[in-house]
Amino acid sequence: MKAFGKYISKYLLSFFAFALVLLLVNILAFALTFGGIVSREYGAASPANMLEAVAADLSASGISEERSQELTRNQIWAMLLDASGRCIWEASLPEEIPTQYTIQDVAVFSKGYLQDYPVFVRNMDNGLLVLGYPKDSFMKLTGNYFPIRAIRVFPLFVTGILAIDIVLLFLVYYFSKRKIAKNTEPIMASIKTLSTGKPVDLSIRGELSEIADSVNQASQVLSRQNQARANWISGVSHDIRTPLSMIMGYAQRIAGDHGASGNIQQEAEIIRAQSAKIKDLVQDLNLVSQLEYEMQPLHKEPVRLSKLLRSYAADLLNAGIGGKHSVEVEISSEAETAVIDCDARLISRAIGNLVQNSINHNPQGCHISLSLDCISENVSITVADNGVGLSAEKLRELEEKPHYMESTDERLDLRHGLGLLLVQQIVEAHDGGFQIENTATQGCKVSLKFPFSL
Amino acid sequence: MDNSFLHSKKLLLVDDEPELLKMVSAILADEGFSHLVTAANMKEGLAAAKAEKPDLAILDVCLPDGDGFSLMEQIRAWTDIPVIFLTARDEAADKLAGLGLGADDYIAKPFLPQEFLLRVYAVLRRCYKKDTAVLKLDHCTVDFSRAEVDKGGEILPLTAMEHKLLETLARNEGRIVTVDTLCEALWGDNPFGYENSLNAHVRRVREKIEADPSKPVSLLTVKGLGYKLLARK
Repeated sequence: MKAFGKYISKYLLSFFAFALVLLLVNILAFALTFGGIVSREYGAASPANMLEAVAADLSASGISEERSQELTRNQIWAMLLDASGRCIWEASLPEEIPTQYTIQDVAVFSKGYLQDYPVFVRNMDNGLLVLGYPKDSFMKLTGNYFPIRAIRVFPLFVTGILAIDIVLLFLVYYFSKRKIAKNTEPIMASIKTLSTGKPVDLSIRGELSEIADSVNQASQVLSRQNQARANWISGVSHDIRTPLSMIMGYAQRIAGDHGASGNIQQEAEIIRAQSAKIKDLVQDLNLVSQLEYEMQPLHKEPVRLSKLLRSYAADLLNAGIGGKHSVEVEISSEAETAVIDCDARLISRAIGNLVQNSINHNPQGCHISLSLDCISENVSITVADNGVGLSAEKLRELEEKPHYMESTDERLDLRHGLGLLLVQQIVEAHDGGFQIENTATQGCKVSLKFPFSL
Repeated sequence: MDNSFLHSKKLLLVDDEPELLKMVSAILADEGFSHLVTAANMKEGLAAAKAEKPDLAILDVCLPDGDGFSLMEQIRAWTDIPVIFLTARDEAADKLAGLGLGADDYIAKPFLPQEFLLRVYAVLRRCYKKDTAVLKLDHCTVDFSRAEVDKGGEILPLTAMEHKLLETLARNEGRIVTVDTLCEALWGDNPFGYENSLNAHVRRVREKIEADPSKPVSLLTVKGLGYKLLARK
């Protein structure tokens, strides 16, 4: 809803413009509708004009032929009453209209109707001129008075009504917009989530439910594609494993076969070493894809990192890493009891990949130091060696270039090698951080930082 | 480490890939294992397990007529032999299913022959201890059944803790055993802060087995990790 206030204020001006236009349209419609009637009814045949014309025309011999015709055309009758209430002149007077009036009669009809004929009167020197218009042509207000206070508050009343109308209109506009925004906001959020490649499940009722359904469908398609991609990688890596076992097995047998010539033994050793690289690649590839598409749930449990690190180092040394490389473990006293919630297998794998990198990049041999420390809120695992280190160029490449597993375009200068990508993914899956640097002396140092869990 | 006493054990290999069976058999035969039985599917595997009574079964998870996990369950119905899974799947769920059912180890393909042999030896050693529970060290002989050390004719008794410590190290002879593993063996799960007690026990064991306890040659400290016991060469 945070964007809604901004949204409404952005459209506030246009709302008021709309209200103004509405008012103008109303006035225009009123003018057009009543303009005709007003100009007609208040034209030459209007009671005021007609009274004046007849009064001016009236003489002892009555009115002119022309005026008489005009009256007939407009179905108006006329009479002149003298001071005693007797009709002394008339024109087209209907039969039902009496010719003698008392003062009470005059007082009553002068305000309204005479036998249902709306009548209008004019005071003249020689009597009272009365014009009768056709029945149902005019409505006369018989109680035609207003308190002066009512007249005074009238402009205020009109302005108030207008203001209330505008407020009500605005409320209707606000709530309908808010309803739309309330429904569109989860849709926007879902589309944002979708754009990061994660699945969503929207449930919205009402007019926007179709859009929600489409978003859900898109999410399903995306999930299915991710699943298919992960399955594909998993299938390929599965099928490679058995043949690779045989290549590795036989290569090692030939390398250790004293009956074979030295040359052949050396070449078999190369095959074995290269197959071992493919083996690491296949294992990393599968795990990277599982983590990338979130196909593999993490088996997180409280793990004492000092124990994990010692156990990893002991396994490494027991398996034998050759005479050229040495491994040492340093655990600070406060880190000894450090426990974090993690998947122990994955953390071991990340450390293993880093150690393997140090060994692979320093075939001439190096000293590898594994250390565990507590730095403020984090536990830090560091893998450092005193080998050749990284060139500035390589370091920049690791920081800047995307990995081919994560890239969607076809740039050629992509980073390769899955080892560090896997480390990065494992660290991210544990909400940790990851930093590579050259050490002050020589060699390379990688630090993994994980937040403490209590 | 001398593992030759394990070479007489009978091993059952079940895998649907004949080429792989051939290679694994060759690796094991090269190493000195002489009793090898192979089977290509679940039915043959079960029949071989009944007829040959192997000491260790190495099973593939994917078999043409079923999966290795159910084969293990059927074998386990009447015998308690150790089982190692060999499989092209490496998903954690498979691993847990395998070990949860009581498998002794799990080896993911592709594997290096040495790694494979190490695992096989480790499982065999754990399940079939040397008949004579006697370990010869540089300056003495340890008799585990009597909990005694014979140091040049002088008989020194071992306390229960010292016995457990030496036994744990002897089971992993020539390999580093972490302080965590030793503390767990001596004091049970999640031992915290027993490092000093462990040091004290190690010091007393050294007094009994070493000629010069301040310059140990049999029970070595591996800095930052743990200890290692070396047998007499």
